[in-house]
Amino acid sequence: MTIHADRTTRRMDPEPERKLGDDSGPSKPDVKKPGGPNELLKRMKRVDPDQAKKYRQRSGQ
Amino acid sequence: MRPILAGLDTEYGFSVEGRGAEDQIDDAKALVRSFPGECFPFWDDRFEAPRNDLRGFRLERLSLDPDDAKFDVGRSHGPAFEVRSDRVLLNGARFYNDHGHPEYATPETWSLAEVALHDRAGDRVVVKSAAAFAAESGREVRVYKNNTDFHGASYGTHESYLVPRSIPLENLVNGLMPMLVARQVLCGAGKVGSEQGPRCDFQISQRADFFSEPLNAETLYRRPVFNTRDEPHADPAKWIRLHVICGESNLVATATRMKLALAKAALHLIESGDQPMWRLKDPVRTIKDVSRDPDGEGRIELEGCSWTTPRQVIESYVVPFLACIANSTDAYSIEMREQLSAAMGLLEARFTDPERFARSVDWAAKRALLTQYIAAEDTNWRDPALQALDLEYHRIDGEGLFHALLNMGAVDVDPSEADVLDRTANVREATRAKARSIAVTKFRDHLASASWGTLTFNTKLGEKTVTLPPERTYPDTLGQCATVEDFIMELERT
Repeated sequence: MTIHADRTTRRMDPEPERKLGDDSGPSKPDVKKPGGPNELLKRMKRVDPDQAKKYRQRSGQ
Repeated sequence: MRPILAGLDTEYGFSVEGRGAEDQIDDAKALVRSFPGECFPFWDDRFEAPRNDLRGFRLERLSLDPDDAKFDVGRSHGPAFEVRSDRVLLNGARFYNDHGHPEYATPETWSLAEVALHDRAGDRVVVKSAAAFAAESGREVRVYKNNTDFHGASYGTHESYLVPRSIPLENLVNGLMPMLVARQVLCGAGKVGSEQGPRCDFQISQRADFFSEPLNAETLYRRPVFNTRDEPHADPAKWIRLHVICGESNLVATATRMKLALAKAALHLIESGDQPMWRLKDPVRTIKDVSRDPDGEGRIELEGCSWTTPRQVIESYVVPFLACIANSTDAYSIEMREQLSAAMGLLEARFTDPERFARSVDWAAKRALLTQYIAAEDTNWRDPALQALDLEYHRIDGEGLFHALLNMGAVDVDPSEADVLDRTANVREATRAKARSIAVTKFRDHLASASWGTLTFNTKLGEKTVTLPPERTYPDTLGQCATVEDFIMELERT
């Protein structure tokens, strides 16, 4: 797998609408299939770069 | 060969919009209680003894992480059973709040494929509960199947193996420890950076930073490489439930199966007295050293000024075990043979075919992805975005990077969705989980409580507790019982 840089500045896709829960039981995640390496890179660039900084958990076992 | 009964329990990480770690116990409780499916809400904890130690003593208390303790000064979360919010699911799994993490403990399994299916079913249960919790609370909820928050807090993915009490503890410790230290090269989840000790860019294991003792029954603090907790959930005269806490959350299903196959191979050899006789000089230091050598073979220091590699250690178990089962035709042996043969292939591929290796091994898949990102963005491992992407790899609501790789065909195929959905409500092996599953599915109105080793019913003659010996088989015909009394009678006759 190889991903390639795409440095063209483009408007970010709007955040996908979040599905809310229902009572139909567990189901497969609503996966948006990336169209290829460039799509995957775009997806990675959409991740909040500070999300790990903000992520705090309690210790488990 | 007696198949080893095993299970996998995972504490999930999660974030709730606008909330913090101080709220995590209340939020985990609410998340578990949001589970939208049918379940039974009473777990019988009379048989739990987390302070008992295999070395023959009982800990006075279990240590808490002092940082976590600060969150709860002046706060009460309510009675323990309310906080835990146990749910016994239709498939016999236990879903509950454990120390502020939604925890899914799979039904007991013999098959490697089954444990991976039930592990994936657990992901579905947690994600669905999180979505329901988000709808109820109006806050965004994200779920991560990982083992660290990158700030020094770790939470676990634990394996349980039923082994005979007759095996001397010394043999178990000496026989299994080398495998636990070595197998991370095939089963590690990978981590950007370090949380203890010298700084590093990337390491094989999420958990290695957090082990400080070779042996211990503590699990929240002062964590051991070999956990000596003695809580058999079965006849204590016959069985030990070996509770391994140094494994980690795998996203690639191949790695989940591999983790259990390697441990089982070691346990079978220990039981037959054929285990390799490695003696590690310092297991705590070595598990960290191996983790921090993603580019090299890894170095395992041995007593007597010698050393070996993780590959040699793994092969020293796998080769003789494969010889033991070479002519076996039972399903258990065939599955073990397939998985362990794959392990041998991956050990070879690690340096000769890295792309093949990265299809089956989480740390390598994650590292390859992040390396490509670094090249594409002209950045480096110290960029905070790398830890953000590490976390995103483990996000399991469909937006995560592992799922992206899966859908691109860049990692090994997942179990089929039909099978995963089936396992969210069913048990397909004749383990004692089938009895629990039938009790929750069909006789829930009569059930007073459930645990790993017991079912307690309200009957016409009063309360009745039935034990579920783990070594027995529990046939499908149990589900044909018309009344709870017939069911109890059949369980006692099984």
